[in-house]
Amino acid sequence: MQSQDFHKLLEQRRTFFCYSGLLSEDVLSTFSGIVREQMSEMEDDAEITKRVFGIFVEQAQNVIRYSKDRIAEGGTGTVAISRADEGFLIEAINPMDKEHAEGLQQNLAELKAMDSKELRKAYKQRLREGPPEGSKGAGLGFIEMARKADRFEFDFVGSNELLFVFKVWIKEP
Amino acid sequence: MQLDATNRTPAVSVSSTGIEMKGECYPEDITAFAEPVMQALRNQLESVESFQVRIELYYFNSSSAKFLFDFFEELEEAAEVGKQISIDWCYRTDDSSMQEAGEDFEEDFEHAQYQLVEI
Repeated sequence: MQSQDFHKLLEQRRTFFCYSGLLSEDVLSTFSGIVREQMSEMEDDAEITKRVFGIFVEQAQNVIRYSKDRIAEGGTGTVAISRADEGFLIEAINPMDKEHAEGLQQNLAELKAMDSKELRKAYKQRLREGPPEGSKGAGLGFIEMARKADRFEFDFVGSNELLFVFKVWIKEP
Repeated sequence: MQLDATNRTPAVSVSSTGIEMKGECYPEDITAFAEPVMQALRNQLESVESFQVRIELYYFNSSSAKFLFDFFEELEEAAEVGKQISIDWCYRTDDSSMQEAGEDFEEDFEHAQYQLVEI
């Protein structure tokens, strides 16, 4: 792909923030201000800005903690925020082990089937029980995103080198 | 104990009368932030009969939700053994995220006084 085509592609899909490479907590700190600034320039509703930012942090921290490709204090992956119909789309893509993917796929399918009451219950239960085995955080990130999202989708792409794709939509009221 | 606010952590002040937390909470290292705060809280709760807590957060991530849950559990346990514990969960008008987050924690309190305060 030509450089200009890459530029046009991002424009076409209305992606106004995109980063691909090493994500660490330091990198996330650096982006936090930029993402908030971009969002508040575009969006008058502070609540929407906050929700998009919150999803962005959870997405970035998932890449930092769980990307299969580890570098120093983080992992590699792609995070992007785009304009979508009536709102915003926050995406994360990172390499993942097959082994890890199976459990996650089941977990996410369960979350997708839950309504807001069930999600709240799952969230409280996870808080009380503490993180599941293998979690590097509180094990709440996906439940939190499912609660805040208007819609989310996930996919595991590839056969040998698996890529995990997680997409979250936040709608404007 | 006094901690200044950073971009990713709230200002925290702990005294013999209470604790205040104000700002953003999505620390780079949640354990490094949470452990000293929890320790300071436990130390104070041992020697006081009443304790006032004021939380004013604008955003917290999911790792911090677990910290807040543990923090509140410590306070509820102190209230259960007879200490006067009062907690104000402050949220800005129109900040429905933080209002809802405050409501999420409400049901965990039986003995401690927990109030949602619009500011």
